[in-house]
Amino acid sequence: MIKFKGVKKVYPGGIVALHDVDLEIKKGEFVFVLGHSGAGKSTFLKLILHEETATEGVVTVNGYNLSKIKQKDIPYMRRGLGVVFQDFRLIPTMTAYENVAFAMRVTNIPEREIKKRVPYVLNLVGLAHKAKSFPPELSGGEQQRVALARALVHSPPIIIADEPTGNIDPELSVEIMELLKAINSVGTTVVVVTHEHDLAQRFNKRMINIENGTVVADSNAGAEVNGYDI
Amino acid sequence: MTFSSFRYLCKQGFKNMVGNRLMSVASIGVLTACIAIIGVASLLSLNVNSFVTFLGGKSEIVVYVKDIETDIAWQDMTEEERTGVDTRLAERVMAVENGINATPNINTVKYVSKQDALNEQMEQMGDYSYLLEDFAAQRDIYPASFRVTVKDLELIGQTAEDLTAIDGVDFCVTSQSLSNVLLNLRLGVNVASIGLVAVLVLVSLVVIANTIRLTVFARRKEINIMKFVGATNAFIRLPFLVEGMLVGLISAVLAFGIISGGYVALLNYLTSEGANVMGVLSFQLVAYNKIWYMLLGGFVLSGVVVGGLGSATSIRKHLKV
Repeated sequence: MIKFKGVKKVYPGGIVALHDVDLEIKKGEFVFVLGHSGAGKSTFLKLILHEETATEGVVTVNGYNLSKIKQKDIPYMRRGLGVVFQDFRLIPTMTAYENVAFAMRVTNIPEREIKKRVPYVLNLVGLAHKAKSFPPELSGGEQQRVALARALVHSPPIIIADEPTGNIDPELSVEIMELLKAINSVGTTVVVVTHEHDLAQRFNKRMINIENGTVVADSNAGAEVNGYDI
Repeated sequence: MTFSSFRYLCKQGFKNMVGNRLMSVASIGVLTACIAIIGVASLLSLNVNSFVTFLGGKSEIVVYVKDIETDIAWQDMTEEERTGVDTRLAERVMAVENGINATPNINTVKYVSKQDALNEQMEQMGDYSYLLEDFAAQRDIYPASFRVTVKDLELIGQTAEDLTAIDGVDFCVTSQSLSNVLLNLRLGVNVASIGLVAVLVLVSLVVIANTIRLTVFARRKEINIMKFVGATNAFIRLPFLVEGMLVGLISAVLAFGIISGGYVALLNYLTSEGANVMGVLSFQLVAYNKIWYMLLGGFVLSGVVVGGLGSATSIRKHLKV
């Protein structure tokens, strides 16, 4: 699913954000990527999204070699990822329904399909009653769930959540994590990027620790793969 | 792209234009003015071309036929000798006419006999025509000639040379300098029109590009999100293209209305009060019903193309995510 082989990322100015990163995240896994601010988590995420390219090494996502990917294939590679951004990145002028439908529209899914799927996903994240609300009218947790619904709506094989609990109350954090667990339980690979070790430790999942741009610990112990063998 | 996606994106483009209404109105205003000026330049060029063609039809080459050389003056000839000279001249005239008709670029050919030439001259002299009466008996005072009009005024010099080379032709007279003036006028107007159109197209492109740039700037976060949920560049571009093309289309239709109104009013004026001015030359401006569809088609095409191109250039930067 996601593979880093000898990856190094140096930003202009010589700042080494990642180096010697070798890891593999397999289908159906639930993985926490942990690290303090500035450890290299964001660069890790940017490389997966192809927002940045590796200076050395190879990043492979869903079979796409991102060092060699053609410009025209980038949108199709991204359609295999559902991303929940830390700042939600919802469009304030669109309702919750429209924000979720938007992710389907960009992939040219017919309108009748959108009308069936969006209410279903909003219901899944417990926001069916807020479909017509605009993001500024929603709480942080609700916005987070809209973002999650948007990431889920086109059933991508990988869900990536960047600090999904960063902007919400602690009690809502657990709720979001439970939701991600439920998504993982049906075979979707989930990657949670966070700095909250405590939260990660509550779940018995694989934890990849990044410090100073490199992987310092990869605890596979106790990890379970839902529906698939590692 | 599915039909429902296409419809959705077109709707988004329309929404963009309405949402960005202040800038859209300003752009439509400037663009309408640009297209209208392009229209004026095109109409001017069209009418000058038509005028030159009209005058070209009036530009003549006079082909003089060589007289039959004799040792005796006409008035001293016997009747039999005169008949012989006339017969030889008639043969020469016929040969020259055949030669003229075989020459390229000939439009009309009119024969003017010696007597016709004398009569014309006497008529022009009016009260003083009696001065020519004494010469009338000499017969050879004016040579026989052909008045030839050409199809393409630009080739009048070459045609005159071809005609001079015909056996039996004495010499040719052309209004070469007038032709040159007309051709230079046409060239000048055409070059100036093309220059003006090029500048105005550039201005229009900049205006559209700036309008779309503002929309793109306002929606840059949305574009960023679109990229990360897997939108293709074509999908992101389409609403902006639609917006630019709509601005171009509305401007084109407005400019067409203004130019059509102005041109019809000018035509009406010239056929009434201004009739004297144009009547002297018996030239008429190109009729509206012959050009309205060209104007509308040209305006709409240029508006839509300029709108589309302007949009395309302004969103390129934001697509590199």
